[in-house]
Amino acid sequence: MQSVSVPTPDASAGLLARIAQGDREAFGRFYDAFAGLALGLIRRILRDPAASEEVLQEVFWQIWQEAARYDPHRGSPEAWVVMRAKTRAIDRLRAIRRREKTFVAPVDEAVAIAPDHPMENPGVVAERRGLVRSALDGLPEPQRRVVELAFFEGLTQSEIANRLGEPLGTVKTRARLALERLRSLMKREGTTRA
Amino acid sequence: MNRDEIIELAAGYALGALEVEDRARFEALLAAGDAEARAALRDFESTVADLAAETAEVAPPAVKAALMARIDAEGRSRGSLTQVLSSARPAPARRSLWTVVTVGAMAAGIAAIAVGLIVSTVYDRRISQLAKEQVLLKQELARQEALVTILQDPATRIIALSGLPPAPEARGRMLWHATAGGLLVAQGLPPAPEGKVYELWAIAGKGAPVPAGVFAVDAKGAGSLRVPPLQAGEDLDTFAVTLEPAGGVPAPTGSMYLVGKL
Repeated sequence: MQSVSVPTPDASAGLLARIAQGDREAFGRFYDAFAGLALGLIRRILRDPAASEEVLQEVFWQIWQEAARYDPHRGSPEAWVVMRAKTRAIDRLRAIRRREKTFVAPVDEAVAIAPDHPMENPGVVAERRGLVRSALDGLPEPQRRVVELAFFEGLTQSEIANRLGEPLGTVKTRARLALERLRSLMKREGTTRA
Repeated sequence: MNRDEIIELAAGYALGALEVEDRARFEALLAAGDAEARAALRDFESTVADLAAETAEVAPPAVKAALMARIDAEGRSRGSLTQVLSSARPAPARRSLWTVVTVGAMAAGIAAIAVGLIVSTVYDRRISQLAKEQVLLKQELARQEALVTILQDPATRIIALSGLPPAPEARGRMLWHATAGGLLVAQGLPPAPEGKVYELWAIAGKGAPVPAGVFAVDAKGAGSLRVPPLQAGEDLDTFAVTLEPAGGVPAPTGSMYLVGKL
């Protein structure tokens, strides 16, 4: 039922170790496991399919070259890829925004759009997505807004505070509460379904 | 810094939403090995990775193919560098010389110890300089290899670019290979004004122009640009050059100087 199986963190870390040695095949498998995850996030942030695939290529090229820098004590390979994809996409988004202010739809409107994904991954990924969606929906509205503006729109905490007309301290606290709550929501749902 | 503050910073960091100063503060904590900061970040990052699952898509095969082509190109240049290095290695010394060499080396060793620190500093500097040179050589070699590939492959196409009203006498040639990238040579372009550069665009059919790099021209109006492999390499059929702000832009804004269609 699953089209893409996500390897365990240990298995993925093993792939990264082989990539660091220049193992092309390991790189191919790592790409198959994580490129879809990275691309979805990049597209959600950039909303431009061509630019998104360019950023995806940059991200994985960097992984090919810098796999040796992965530190298992800092988190799972999946989290490592997601961080890299997000950082790159947000860098690109900010560059585009600096150059063409009109290019990007107003943020409020953007958040309201729940994008359709014609190329959805069936199986495990879709199930996991359902989990995330219901966890996000389980957040109090103000916390959800902070997560979405930060994570999917690439705004900094000060920018979010300006946008929402809230004090910076409030935004910081909400970001923390939101992630703590998401963590426990996803854990709980994960265990009840397993 | 108290615990709450560390956890707040970790959350903002995992979301990628910290301001520059906060980010620097948190990275300093991580670098110092702060256990609390690391644990909080690890937790939040995995939550954030879970969030990404909401938008997961199918990994595009075209991007994978482009990456593999890049890796292969890199591998070729690595291989040939190794060959160059091994052929440059001196022939082994004859046995009779060996004793002399050993004694000499010991004497040199003793001398080196005597001036220990200075020598090792000099060597460190030299080694790091050599390492830098090696990186540059590798890059240069990879560039040359890719060019040779482009020139040797019958699949390489040559596209003539002709001058448009801002510089009607300008001419260009684009050598384009679908997976290895290409090379642009141009002549007869006016020198770019201060703060401007020429930018090359690649266009597939009716698609939006894809930025393919920026270049300057010399006093004679000649310039060239090595173009890396691009997405949709197979489908690209038009190349154009416009004058743009220094550093280049993601979509063309200035006058077009050269254009050519396959």
